[in-house]
Amino acid sequence: MNARPKIGVYICHCGINIAATVDVEEVVRFASTLPDVVVARNYSYMCSDPGQALITEDIQNMGLNRVVVASCSPRMHEPTFRKTLMSVGLNPYFLEMANIREQCSWVHEDRIAATEKAKRLVESAVVKVRRLEPLEVKEVEVEPSCLIIGAGIAGIQAALDIADAGFKVYLVEKTPSVGGHMAQLDKTFPTLDCSACILTPKMVDVANHPNIELLTYSQVEEISGYVGNFDVKVRKKSRFVDVSKCTGCGACAEACRQAGRIPSEFDEGLGMRSCIYLPFPQAVPAKYTIDKETCLFLTRGKCGDSPKCVEACEAGAIDFEMKDEMLEFKVGTIIVATGFDVFDARNKPEYGYGTYPEVVTALEFERLVSASGPYGGKVVIPQRGKKKKKKEGEEEEAPRVPKNITFIQCVGSRDKSVGNEYCSRVCCMYTAKQAHLAKDKIPDAEITIFYMDVRAFGKGYEEFYDRVRREGIRYIRGNPSEIFRRGDKLVVRAEDTLTATPMEHETDMVVLSVGLMPRSDRREIIDLLKLSSSPDQFYLEAHPKLRPVDTATDGIFLAGACQGPKDIPDAVGQAKGAASAAMILMASGKVKVEAQTSVVDEATCRGCGFCVEICPYSAIELVEVNRMGWPVKVARVNEALCKGCGACAAACLSGSIQQRSFRDLQILPQIEVLGVSD
Amino acid sequence: MVDQAKLREVAREVISREDVRLLIGYRPGTYGFRARPAFVESAEQVEELVFTPACVSNLASYLVLEEKPPLPRGAEPDNRKVAVMVKGCDSRALVQQMVEKAYERDHLVVLGIPCSGVVDMARVEARFPGVLSAGSIIREGDDFVLSFDGKTEKVPAAELLADKCKRCRYPTPLVSDIMLDDEVERFAEDDFSDIAELEGKSVEEKWAYWAEKFSRCIRCYSCRNVCPMCYCEDCILDRLKPVWMRRSVDISENTAFHISRAYHLAGRCIQCGECARVCPVDIPLMELNRKFYKDVEELYDYEPGLSTEATPLLSTFSVEDREDFIL
Repeated sequence: MNARPKIGVYICHCGINIAATVDVEEVVRFASTLPDVVVARNYSYMCSDPGQALITEDIQNMGLNRVVVASCSPRMHEPTFRKTLMSVGLNPYFLEMANIREQCSWVHEDRIAATEKAKRLVESAVVKVRRLEPLEVKEVEVEPSCLIIGAGIAGIQAALDIADAGFKVYLVEKTPSVGGHMAQLDKTFPTLDCSACILTPKMVDVANHPNIELLTYSQVEEISGYVGNFDVKVRKKSRFVDVSKCTGCGACAEACRQAGRIPSEFDEGLGMRSCIYLPFPQAVPAKYTIDKETCLFLTRGKCGDSPKCVEACEAGAIDFEMKDEMLEFKVGTIIVATGFDVFDARNKPEYGYGTYPEVVTALEFERLVSASGPYGGKVVIPQRGKKKKKKEGEEEEAPRVPKNITFIQCVGSRDKSVGNEYCSRVCCMYTAKQAHLAKDKIPDAEITIFYMDVRAFGKGYEEFYDRVRREGIRYIRGNPSEIFRRGDKLVVRAEDTLTATPMEHETDMVVLSVGLMPRSDRREIIDLLKLSSSPDQFYLEAHPKLRPVDTATDGIFLAGACQGPKDIPDAVGQAKGAASAAMILMASGKVKVEAQTSVVDEATCRGCGFCVEICPYSAIELVEVNRMGWPVKVARVNEALCKGCGACAAACLSGSIQQRSFRDLQILPQIEVLGVSD
Repeated sequence: MVDQAKLREVAREVISREDVRLLIGYRPGTYGFRARPAFVESAEQVEELVFTPACVSNLASYLVLEEKPPLPRGAEPDNRKVAVMVKGCDSRALVQQMVEKAYERDHLVVLGIPCSGVVDMARVEARFPGVLSAGSIIREGDDFVLSFDGKTEKVPAAELLADKCKRCRYPTPLVSDIMLDDEVERFAEDDFSDIAELEGKSVEEKWAYWAEKFSRCIRCYSCRNVCPMCYCEDCILDRLKPVWMRRSVDISENTAFHISRAYHLAGRCIQCGECARVCPVDIPLMELNRKFYKDVEELYDYEPGLSTEATPLLSTFSVEDREDFIL
């Protein structure tokens, strides 16, 4: 490889993308004069087969050992041209690209100046390519198993697909049951399928699938390693109930001294549960869990004379001594499907949520309208904070049925005042659905929807919206400014922006169409996996269009609303995409790792650890080495983890880290060419 | 002021310990007034140790600059502890060195000196010409007491204090195993008014200002060599492949040198002021370092050298970081 460089330079016209602004003939003339350049050519599309053939023929006929392609961004065609080099036996890392499209022709108008700049860019590539070294592409094995974090509909779907394909899946869910937010929903738009009816078969499937290890009430605590070889530690939280004995009969929950006193998370606090509970009737697994935050025995060490649940449990399943269990396993791929939180409506105090019991959130309305909900599917004004069970002799006050229901859309979405600029994508449609359900339950109710715009973009959505409007539901375009009480009514103050009329609208009940938020505990996953966030704080995909389920880290994928607000079809679609992406790795069993990695000069490294801190891929660690008899700490790069981003090389004060293909000695001459003005 | 007898007694105890190899302190300079570093390896040597307001140098530098000659095969490295005397300002260098993993905390025995300020030698010399080669100085309350030519002079401390001491935020060492005196309460605040004039200059004026200063530089590298935060095994300024900076003494290379050093100290400089003190041509290097220090504090709410638990500023990133200053 010490042979004198013989460089070929290939200038692409890219149709007229480059040729219209850059005089490619002139650049070719210039390139031929540069030292060690044996041949310089231009062609209309270098990436085309004939274009690539020019390169391979020259390599074979002229004995080229270095190639410069001046065309588009290396993000586009670097892999193409590397393969071109490889096809005729040249190391693919003897290629350097000069970006004369994005960084030149597309951003300039002056043909003469653009041509001069293109020459500079080509020259800088030529001086660099002379100094490039051959690199070896290494492969690592991929463990044929997948960790899926979060068992909502996205996690469930991804798990089923991967398990059906024959790979092992570890499905980890934080709460006691799988199902996620979809389990809370009553009907789904636009088809009005019963949510539980379409979800529960899949929930049962994940529990029974031989390839799925379901870890509910569990949390991922630690992940290390790299694509194909992740080491995972999961904490299986103690349920204080032996799941092998629990039959799910529910006698314990009935017996609990606090029965009906603990707000049910599943019912959004509208219904009550016991300290020992099943989140909802179809929960999977159908095993009870003791909530250690509220259980009298676990918080105070005493529950009457003895805990009633223990007395009631015929199976003897309750064990207050039970401890958290730590599981460790290896996976090749990871799918993050942690979902979303709903917007906290208290952050829009003008709507009186939390002040007026008649103001509910859409998710609460979902529980109201659900037959399995706390009011048996009756649309009523919930009696918040009042105990459902009255003392004997007291009149039971029946919950009020609203005759006039008002929905307000975009609560916490498209609203810079609360920091959420994005559209939550589901509210327009679920509001239409809920309005329809309300009309269905209370046919004589007057129903009004305040909206900013109606975005009915999905399959069958516009048709559904049209149907709902024709059911006599009134849509008013305007964002209400406040809600206040007048007598036994609530008044919504708004402006009808279509007629520019200020209005006051009296109503019995208000439903706030709250948007979808990034999860409040999203940092846990970010810290575990070093994921990035987009400006809206949802997890960031590798490319918004072409790599929507990938993350910046190989082997880690995103599914569902953790990446951005999604409805069920989109979440399922993305889950299938993520599953397929993970399966590609696991099916091939091998993955190529980055060759342009960082290397540490251990002789000069002072072991300060700046690189360790700054590495976004946890690819560097400090190790002890012997330096002339003295034990010293130095940085060492795990090449399977290194992505070649160069952050460490930039951070290293002693200049002891170099990135392959971007070594100081390779890029300084480039800078010299680009920096000198004449 | 530190009781000299107690200082020696503590030093004797420490150097007598089996797990301590070396004690770095101060001893009188050749002519008495100035102090110079003392490297004590046995109990007999402790008698020469002193601490006076003339103990200006930052001994933390010696911890990281100590040469480790190659060991003969089979020889065990001497990994015993090193004891070091530090003032408040100097102690921050220890903290920052530990943040940068230069050594472990248990490698050190820190003898903390709560300090009410050291003198600026130039001020002393200007006020009492000749005293530096034939006098002595101690602190008494709010005054410095100088003895020379058989007479004594009492001077209000403020008149001779080094500038860095007049704005010292941390007079008591932030890290220590044995404190040699009672804690000194913070007696000054740092409002960075000393660099207000520099900050007020236009870009052109700043360039002209620094061009004049840097043109004086003789590239002796004293600033680098004395700096407790400059301790790479192999300084990039000395490298030949690539040559980041030529050795030629001219305004271009001098400027590149000082700018590189200032950037390498951003978020790391602990304000001991040694670089400016040792500069033989009086380049006000601390103005540069303090401007960086102020910016780092204002932009990131970060002061280096305060806690060993801190992460190095420039190797951390948070999406909440300010970016409004990025062009």
